[in-house]
Formats: sequence, C-alpha cells, structure tokens
Amino acid sequence: MKDVHVTNAIRKYGLGIVVMGLTCGAALGGPVQAPAEAEVSDVASLAPDRPHRFFAGGWGSSGFVIFDADTGRMEGSVPAGYEANLSIAPDESRFYVSETYWTHGSRGKREDLVSIYDARTLNLVKEIDLPGRALVGKVQNFDLSASGSRGYVYVLHPASSVVWVDLKKQVVAGTVEIPGCALVFPWGEEGFSSLCGDGSLATVSISDSGSAKVTHTKPFFDANRDPIFENSFVDRDTGRAIFLSYSGLVYEAKLGLDTTVQKPWSIEQAAGYAAAGTGVQELAWRPGGVQLAAYHKASGRLFVLMHVGNYWTHKQGGTEIWVLDTKTHALLRRIPLQPVPTSGAADEKLPLYSSIGVSQDDKPLLYLLNPDGNDVVMDAATGEILRKIEFAAGHVVRVPGY
Amino acid sequence: MSKSPFDKLGERLTRQLAGYSSRRGFIARLGMTLAAAPILPLLPVARAAPPVKEPKTDFERYAQAKDDTQCNYWKYCAADGVLCSCCGGGSHTCPPGAEPSPISWIGTCVNPQDDRSYIIAYRDCCGKPLCSAGKTCHCDGADRELPTYRPQLNNDIIWCFGSASASYHCSTAALVGLAG
Repeated sequence: MKDVHVTNAIRKYGLGIVVMGLTCGAALGGPVQAPAEAEVSDVASLAPDRPHRFFAGGWGSSGFVIFDADTGRMEGSVPAGYEANLSIAPDESRFYVSETYWTHGSRGKREDLVSIYDARTLNLVKEIDLPGRALVGKVQNFDLSASGSRGYVYVLHPASSVVWVDLKKQVVAGTVEIPGCALVFPWGEEGFSSLCGDGSLATVSISDSGSAKVTHTKPFFDANRDPIFENSFVDRDTGRAIFLSYSGLVYEAKLGLDTTVQKPWSIEQAAGYAAAGTGVQELAWRPGGVQLAAYHKASGRLFVLMHVGNYWTHKQGGTEIWVLDTKTHALLRRIPLQPVPTSGAADEKLPLYSSIGVSQDDKPLLYLLNPDGNDVVMDAATGEILRKIEFAAGHVVRVPGY
Repeated sequence: MSKSPFDKLGERLTRQLAGYSSRRGFIARLGMTLAAAPILPLLPVARAAPPVKEPKTDFERYAQAKDDTQCNYWKYCAADGVLCSCCGGGSHTCPPGAEPSPISWIGTCVNPQDDRSYIIAYRDCCGKPLCSAGKTCHCDGADRELPTYRPQLNNDIIWCFGSASASYHCSTAALVGLAG
C-alpha cells in the first residue's frame, strides 16, 4: 500500500517529495514507519516569563482567560465567580481572584472570597473568606501593595470600607471605613488612596500592627460636573498616579502619606483643540468606554480610547486611541480604530472597542477588547494590528507587572 | 400648610422605602452610611437637579414614551442592564419570582409627553440569575451617571442591597415624582 501512495505522490508532486521521502526514510533507518507511541494523559502548566501575556474577563464570563499575545493562543484560564476581579502578584508567582458565589447558584448563602492560584499550575492554593465585597465591575475594586504582601478589597454594603488581607499569612487582617469614598489605589507597603465624592482623595495608612489612619486631601475636582474616571492609575512602587476626568483633564498626583496633586492639563489641548467642556450638546473628542485607558509605567505613556461626542458619553467606546506622554503633556500619536464587524443586522450598532490594556515591557503591546469579542493585539509604538483574537466575553483586561 | 415639592418627594420616597423596609439590619447599615458621611448628599434627590434650562441630551431628544421594551424609552435615560420589561416584568415591575431591591439609585429624565423632568428610581430586581433577554434589551444609558464614589448616581453597582440574594436579574425604572 505504502508503495502505491509513494508512486501516486511522485506523479502528483514531482521529484521534490521523493527527495524528502528518501531523506526521512534514511533518518528513520528504513522505509517502514514506526507506529505512533502511546500517549500519556497529562496536564499542562503555564510557561514563566511571557512578557505579552494578558488576562481577559469580567462581567458575563466564567473566569479570566489567559492569552499569549505573541502567538494569539489561549494558555489557560483562571475560574472566577460573580463580578470578579483578578490581581497578579508582582513576582508573578500567584494570581489572586476576588469573587462572590452563592451556595445554590444565584441563591443560598453568599460567600465572598479572595482565591489564590499558583501561577504555574493554576491550581487553587487557598480560599480566604471575606466579610464582604463591592459588586461593581471596576478594575480598582481590588489591588495589591507594591510587594504583594497585602491585598485591598473595596466593600460596599452600601457603607464604604476596604478589607485588607495579609497575603503572607493568607488571612483577613482588618477593615477600614472610608465613608463617601470608593476604590483602592495602593502605594508602597503602607497604604492606599481612594477617590471621594467631595472631590478629594482619602489617604489610608495601615501600620504593621493593623491600626489605620484616614486623612483627606483638599478637594481638587468636581465630582458632580467633571468627575474622575474610576479607571485611573497608580504606580504602586513610586506612588505616581494619573487621574483622568470625564472631560479629558489629567491630574497627576504623588500618592503617599503626604499626597500631592498637580494642576490638571487637557488631553484635547494636547491635541491642538480647545479643552472639552461639559455641555450636553457640545461635540468634542472625549474619553470613553469601560476600561477606557491604559498606562505604561516605565515610559509614562497614557493610552486613551477617544470618541467624538457630547458630555455624558463617557461609556461610549473609542474610534481612536490617543497616545499621550504624561511627563511632557504632549500628544504623541493618534491611532484610528475600525468598529468591529458584526453579523450585519441593519439596525445593529457596530461595537466600538471599549477596553484597553498595555503590556509593561519595553516593547509594549496594546490589547483591545469589545463587548462582542474579536479582540485585537496592536503594536503600541506603531499602531499596527499584529493579530486578532476571538474571545467570547469580558471587558476587563489585566497585565503582569502592573 | 402646603408642602414644598421636596417635602412631597421626601414623603413619597419614605413611603416607598417603608414598603420595602422589613430588613432592619440593612436600614441600619444605610443609616450608618448617611450618618458617617457628611460629604454624601443627605438624600440622593437633593443633588438630582432638573435640567430645566439646559439643552437636552441626545437621549432626551430622541426618547419615546410608547414602548418600554426599548432602550430609548424615556425613563431609561440612565438605565444600565437588562430591561425587566423584556423579562416578564414591566418598567417598574419585577418579573415573577424576582425581588425588588429595597433601595435604588436615582436619575432625572425628561418625559417627551409633557417635556418635564422627573425623578426616576432605578431599582434592580434580584435573587435570580441574569435575565437572558435579547441583545436589544441590554441598555447602557449614561445621562448624569457618576462614578462609584457617588454611589447614588452610579449605574454599574449591583443595586441588590438588602434583598435576600444580591444576584442581579434585571433593571426597572420607577417614576417617583416631578424633579422641579
């Protein structure tokens, strides 16, 4: 039989295949191929050191899917419960999931957890019971201290507080009330800051013994007229923070025991336009989306999903990415985005990209998510689309090193 | 003595709350929030100023008052989620077996029939899995929607506080009263 196949192949593909066949045959020690070996059923593990790994998940998904953006391949996934969030240990040895379950699906006893996963095997290491957590899909509802020794979980009961978890001992260590404030922006090992409804930042320091102190900065933004997006940024190592407002003002801050906030600058003015106002019939370029901006810590570059719209379009996805240097307040590049093709129903709005992440290495990639999947990997320096990744759900993107 | 509009609104909200307020623990926690937070508005409606003389938002310009299963139905100007109208309920009615949250967040929408601003209580229906209605019933209005640190005006929070289960099923929008 084999000879017949070889003869047919020679007729079809010519001499090249004969040469190849002879070479292979010689290497195997003869024309007869050994039978395939029996396979072992085993379990994969995650490779270390993937600079372009990203995690996508959030509302409506059953976990955080891990992709290698250099290949577009799914590497695995971390299961997650209701309104879950994920933080990555700074040394990338652990993944932490803050999540909520009910014992009978959507009913029964409620359980709020921080679940710890091994970053190589993705095996569950430990579940830490929480006294509660906020059910709101915001990236900054869960984060770690600079070294990863503490986790901070934002709680809304609807009284606002933060539960802090000792991740070395793997226990809940305490709760701090933050009335009128929300979310966590950690700095160093000592504490975190929260955004407040009076336009200030709360500064929360927690000593090793567990005693907490809460102070406030002076109000510096108007939470009613031009609030700061929850999707703002802090470099946990340095405390350098970037806060972005609905109208496109950037407030740079140094978070810590003596938090300082600089005067804001306008990203529209950086692009040569007038600063965007707050008029409901005032068309201007505006930031918008779900996770609408990404920050590259080493370069200080800010990537913002932008669209033309009136005020109160802060949830609309982007038709462009604006790349801004937060050190010089300069616009470096505008990257146009195409809406994602859909099934083609006539009355269906084309989905715009609504979430963006950036890898933290020195050759950064951008990860763009939209509500319908069809995610995109883009070269952050050129705007070139490197590959597309079909992905069913999610609007949260997390990256190692942040 | 005649009551001011805010008195009337306060009375209506209180009566509504009383109708739901069997869970004392929850009300106590809410009370703690309000008492401990002088920087929060005392009542959410205190800050829900009517947009009387401002130009209308695009939502307000194109809103309709006939079909409450569409995202552009006027009361949904800041609704975020799946419409209960598509899930066996109505614009202010939970579907069978779901439980309305005792509290809500507050929006202000313009009724195209009389061009007046009304306070809307956005109340989630809870205790069942997410309603699997079609895509056109998933709305994301954002008029006057503020971040989580202004929770009474935020529509991303699961507003199922105080219900037996905080699992979100769908969203309603109950007219509370005139805003002006």
